[in-house]
Amino acid sequence: MAGGERDKEAAEGQARRAEILAIKETKSGRQFYCNFDNFNKRLDEWVPAARIHFNQDVEWPSPEKPKDAKKAAAPAAKKTAVAQKKAQKRPTSTREASVASEGTTPHPWTEFVDSQKGTPDADGGELVAALDLDNTPGAEDDDPMDVDEAVAEAIIAKTQPPEHFSREEEIEKLRTGGSMTQNQAEISRIRNISKVQFGKFDLYPWYFSPYPEVFTQEDLMYICEFCLCYYGDFKSFTRHRQKCTLQHPPGNEIYRDDYVSFFEIDGRRQRTWCRNLCLLSKMFLDHKTLYYDVDPFLFYVMTTRDEKGCHLIGYFSKEKESAEGYNVACILTLPQFQRKGYGRLLIQFSYELSKIEGKLGSPEKPLSDLGLLSYRQYWTENLVDILLKYNESEDRCSIEQLASLLAMTPLDVESTLQALKMQVYHKGEHKIVLPTHIIKRHEAMKEKLAKDKSKKKVINPEAIQWKPPVFTASTRTWGW
Amino acid sequence: MAPPIRHTRVKKLNRSSGQQILREDQIEDYDSLALHTENKTDSGVEKSEEKEFHLQAALANSSNGQSEGEIPTRPAEETTDIDYDALYSLKSDKPATYIRFSQTVEECTGCQYDMSTEDDVFLTEYSKSHPESQHSEDVFERIMEIFEETQPEFAAVDQTLYSFDTMRQALKQNQMDDKLLVVAKDFYEFWKKRRQENGNHSLQPELKSETQPDNDDGDPYVCFRRREVRQTRKTRARDVQSTEKLKRLRKELEEGRSIVKLVLTREQAKRELMKTDKEIFDARGELKAIKFKTGIKTDDEELLINQKPQRRRTSEFQGISRQPASQLRMPPRADGRALDADLILLSDIQAQKENRLQIEIQEKSKQHEIWNSGFEDLTREPLSPVQQGSKTGFRPATAQYQLMTPPSSVTSESFDHPSPAQEKLEPFTFRYGSPAEEDEPRGQPAYRRRIGRCGRLWIDRRGMRPKESDDVVSDRFKFDQDDEEEPPVYEMDAFDTKALRFRATIPFPQHLIPQRVRPDSTPQVRGNGPSPPSNRSIAAAPQPAPT
Ligand SMILES: [Zn+2]
Repeated sequence: MAGGERDKEAAEGQARRAEILAIKETKSGRQFYCNFDNFNKRLDEWVPAARIHFNQDVEWPSPEKPKDAKKAAAPAAKKTAVAQKKAQKRPTSTREASVASEGTTPHPWTEFVDSQKGTPDADGGELVAALDLDNTPGAEDDDPMDVDEAVAEAIIAKTQPPEHFSREEEIEKLRTGGSMTQNQAEISRIRNISKVQFGKFDLYPWYFSPYPEVFTQEDLMYICEFCLCYYGDFKSFTRHRQKCTLQHPPGNEIYRDDYVSFFEIDGRRQRTWCRNLCLLSKMFLDHKTLYYDVDPFLFYVMTTRDEKGCHLIGYFSKEKESAEGYNVACILTLPQFQRKGYGRLLIQFSYELSKIEGKLGSPEKPLSDLGLLSYRQYWTENLVDILLKYNESEDRCSIEQLASLLAMTPLDVESTLQALKMQVYHKGEHKIVLPTHIIKRHEAMKEKLAKDKSKKKVINPEAIQWKPPVFTASTRTWGW
Repeated sequence: MAPPIRHTRVKKLNRSSGQQILREDQIEDYDSLALHTENKTDSGVEKSEEKEFHLQAALANSSNGQSEGEIPTRPAEETTDIDYDALYSLKSDKPATYIRFSQTVEECTGCQYDMSTEDDVFLTEYSKSHPESQHSEDVFERIMEIFEETQPEFAAVDQTLYSFDTMRQALKQNQMDDKLLVVAKDFYEFWKKRRQENGNHSLQPELKSETQPDNDDGDPYVCFRRREVRQTRKTRARDVQSTEKLKRLRKELEEGRSIVKLVLTREQAKRELMKTDKEIFDARGELKAIKFKTGIKTDDEELLINQKPQRRRTSEFQGISRQPASQLRMPPRADGRALDADLILLSDIQAQKENRLQIEIQEKSKQHEIWNSGFEDLTREPLSPVQQGSKTGFRPATAQYQLMTPPSSVTSESFDHPSPAQEKLEPFTFRYGSPAEEDEPRGQPAYRRRIGRCGRLWIDRRGMRPKESDDVVSDRFKFDQDDEEEPPVYEMDAFDTKALRFRATIPFPQHLIPQRVRPDSTPQVRGNGPSPPSNRSIAAAPQPAPT
């Protein structure tokens, strides 16, 4: 590991700052595992030496605080790099292909992006932001947003000192419940599994997951769709499939409608299955930690049914008893089901459970970027829906009322309203204002759903057969 | 206009107070107002990631109302090169009700060893070179599973492998067919080779688990650590909690200790009581001896008065007790009841009548039993189940009643006499004089071999009756209300010594009457001279007869 080296990657006319996390020798030469500044880690990749500008100075990490080295980078340089990029037209895929052949890491994703280009999402409304074809991630051509502005915001965000978490504090925090780590130094930052066959799908992991180390040498790993057991060897996998009789998550079904079912799984009772689920989901959740065991969690697993059984769509985990009042620890929709509105179902379900418990809930922090977007979307839709009704009836409404209607914490209500710029101070009074563009979008969405009922996926709270499980201190500790 | 607004003092937002809800077009100056609301809340995303390009773009998009923000991610693809239906061949029907399920993965996946490609090559080769021993993949996996399970995990450290002998034991313990031991030896060699190549680690990829808590903290591959291992955070609240817990624990222990103390006291008292009881008993024995010697014939009240604690009485009603009762009957004519004896009560007479009927029935069944005595009748319910005689060891309600009924020696005597049993009874009494206290000797175990139809071999046995006279044993059945289903065949009565004796003196069927258990006991060889005075009912017995 050469962690912390800063470098610029060469990319035909544009350069991007990246942190080199690892170096490996391949048949075609040396490759560098790069994390690009201001891009999510899921875009990290192995970059051949040819694409790196060694003619520019390499920033060496300061031995004590590598993070600070990052901050020391001049924002100005950054900005020019992006400007360059913006001016530049989308690179051709032929160039991409040539790079791919240079390196040993293929880029199947590139083809996906190609196929997505210019095809507006059939779901409508959901615009798939295709990734820049250049090896370095960036904004797409038709991105309506002013890139410079985004970057400017990014830079502002960056100048705020990052919260510092000591290792001990972190581990202690994890021990007493949570499942999210804030301390990136704790977890390996290099993706270790290249491809996973799961049911009918090939998954391309985004992040590190602590599967047995031998699997990192495999090009393809197999995961049984029902018990989530993992195999590096195809023969073993087929043998397992001949014996495996599981056809749905190993717990009680607590919800069923025409589209999905929910199962409740106890981490203590179903340790193997829940561990397997965590390993699987870790490949797509950056901040999830598997440092401690799954016992104190319940897993709410959403599935879709066909003649083979109940296929895993996604899940959220929940502490049996959360000191911080979280109603969700980790939440994930598997990649093959993303962008289909399932995340919203998961979120809604988590709040429905909170309603049954008579509690206000909030997801455990930190949220991932995708998590934040999904939650913002859910919160916005539901808040706007309620606020429009209040507006119509000309009633007043408090933050706390909104919170209890949706089983959200008042803090989440407030932050959503603020993010949408809906909270204003006018004539000596706090008021909630619904901006026209948000109303329009909300109505458009409603209209669309009214037209096509099949798109309208919501949880029907009446179909939930669930009582909040009770755990005594000894059950939690000893399983009695 | 804008700056002044900014500087107006903004009241703190009260979350519980109602706010006006307006549309943008219902308020003037929205744009300028909105500009000045600061976004001070936490997004929930980690600070270092908040600035990420795609996230910012998506957030900007959605809050501008342009579209739902999206972040590009690498999507999954449909697999092209697998036979999904072959891999996932099981079909499932949608159950009408919500699924309830609690089996674990291990319970649903059969053999925990999944053979690898390498194993497959080996097995194929092996089958080719050993045409005489063909083994399925299942057998191979089962054997390997046992090897893997038996081999201890720590062995990875010292590189030792269990010998095949050990493995053979394990195979046997797992009910592997002996025929497989030969092939298991060959599989063992292969397994050993693979283990060695693998650094003596498990052949199947395993998660890295916590081994040295101090060292592997930073190892990202170590996962799912136990939580209990770590020390809990010290906070004031936790301290208080722990103190409370300790206090409670201590209190509970203290309570436990005092209970044990009390038990000790109780047991000591019991011991004292027993000592005293014994003294009384001995004293009574002496007294009785003296009485006998000196020929004093008075109420034996003083012999009995303390002697009827309920406990005694209940035991008396157990199987054993009846026999002693009979013995008692002859030696002393018990007078405890003498008072009543003078009066003939209607109830007594009625009871006697009832008894008589009962006796007749039982007599018949006894007789049948006697015919069969010494043999085990394995036919199902050869007779309708009858009250088992006194020997059952159980305490049928009727018997109890009967015991109580003979209130006076006279009545019982007069009643006894007419019944043939009684006549028989007496001879026995004479013969054996002293009655056994409780235990009567059982017939010696004996067997008889018979050849039945088609050469079927029958073994009849007798004398298998367990001692039931033991207080503890009989006590066992005290509250055991046996139902009729218990085949009377297995009753032990049939094998009684006395039954044999009776057979010798055939024409006395009646003495087996439950109430008249005495006859049974009378024949006992090893009676103690002085009959224990414990039995009240006995007292009423026909003492005169023996004398
Ligand atoms: Zn499976």
